Amino acid sequence: MITKAKHMNPDTAKTEVFTAISALLEDKSIVVTEDLPLIGSDSVLDSMKLVELCLALEDKAADLGFEFDWTSDAAMSKSRSMFRTAGALAVEFLSQMESKK
Amino acid sequence: MIVVTGASKGLGRAICERLLEKGSEVFGIARNVEGLPFPSMACDVSSYEQVKAVSQKLKKDGVRITGLINAAGIASMNLAVTTPASVAVNIINVNLLGTIYCCQNFAPLMLRNKAGSIVNFSTIAVALGLKGESIYAASKAGVEGFTRSFAREMADFNVKVNCIAPGPIDTNLLKGITSTQIQNIVSQQIIPKQFTPSAVSDLVEILLDERSSALSGQVLHVGGA
Repeated sequence: MITKAKHMNPDTAKTEVFTAISALLEDKSIVVTEDLPLIGSDSVLDSMKLVELCLALEDKAADLGFEFDWTSDAAMSKSRSMFRTAGALAVEFLSQMESKK
Repeated sequence: MIVVTGASKGLGRAICERLLEKGSEVFGIARNVEGLPFPSMACDVSSYEQVKAVSQKLKKDGVRITGLINAAGIASMNLAVTTPASVAVNIINVNLLGTIYCCQNFAPLMLRNKAGSIVNFSTIAVALGLKGESIYAASKAGVEGFTRSFAREMADFNVKVNCIAPGPIDTNLLKGITSTQIQNIVSQQIIPKQFTPSAVSDLVEILLDERSSALSGQVLHVGGA
């Protein structure tokens, strides 16, 4: 049963998201930064890894007491997608957590 | 647990009964689930929000989904030029978008386990190009195309996606079609006989089974085309 979301500050949320991305990178020399693209031709993740990232963040969100929705309209459009960069994904993750408080 | 859409009647209901008979756990979806003797939830598959609500409920309940049978469908046998636009939209919404919405929402529940089987439904009318079924056939041709591409997307996660394309099976979907019309279609099949819901349920069982693990992205024509 999902109840009230636990508190997490923006930096911690960013670290959680960046750590999840980093764990899926085959090239461990890549440093996850705010502007690292997650979709499109420059993406560091293939489609399978992207889905695995979604599942990992879903698990993380459940631990924190909220539901992470990665199928919203905002999810995949390149211009406003939450996956356009690692930073955008961290912002969306935090935003969804805050809205469930 | 195997999710079956269109579970209240016709092929969907027959498939549910077969799976229950074989000891599987079934969760039925239909617009009206009143009186169904197995776990179910009312849902119009042409509504993304309603489909999502069902998948979220199953997820929250911790249900492990191993199969999805997209049997919900509607038909309207008519010439395209005499079919009202609203009917055409409804056919596309239920048959094509309904299948897509269910795959979008239930497949993620299988990805996590890296196992599962999805069975979509087309019709032999696609392969035979049957007169009077152009809009219905168009909706189902969409399902076939979706099945082939979606199968590739799911392959990395060990989820197989196939499609069954029956000829005229004796269900309520054939209401209003004369026996002469049915015979005319059946005579164009490779095996020129009308099959029963049981024959379709046999195929569903095979596609859900581990022994069909080498089969994905395929369209299987009941009766042959």
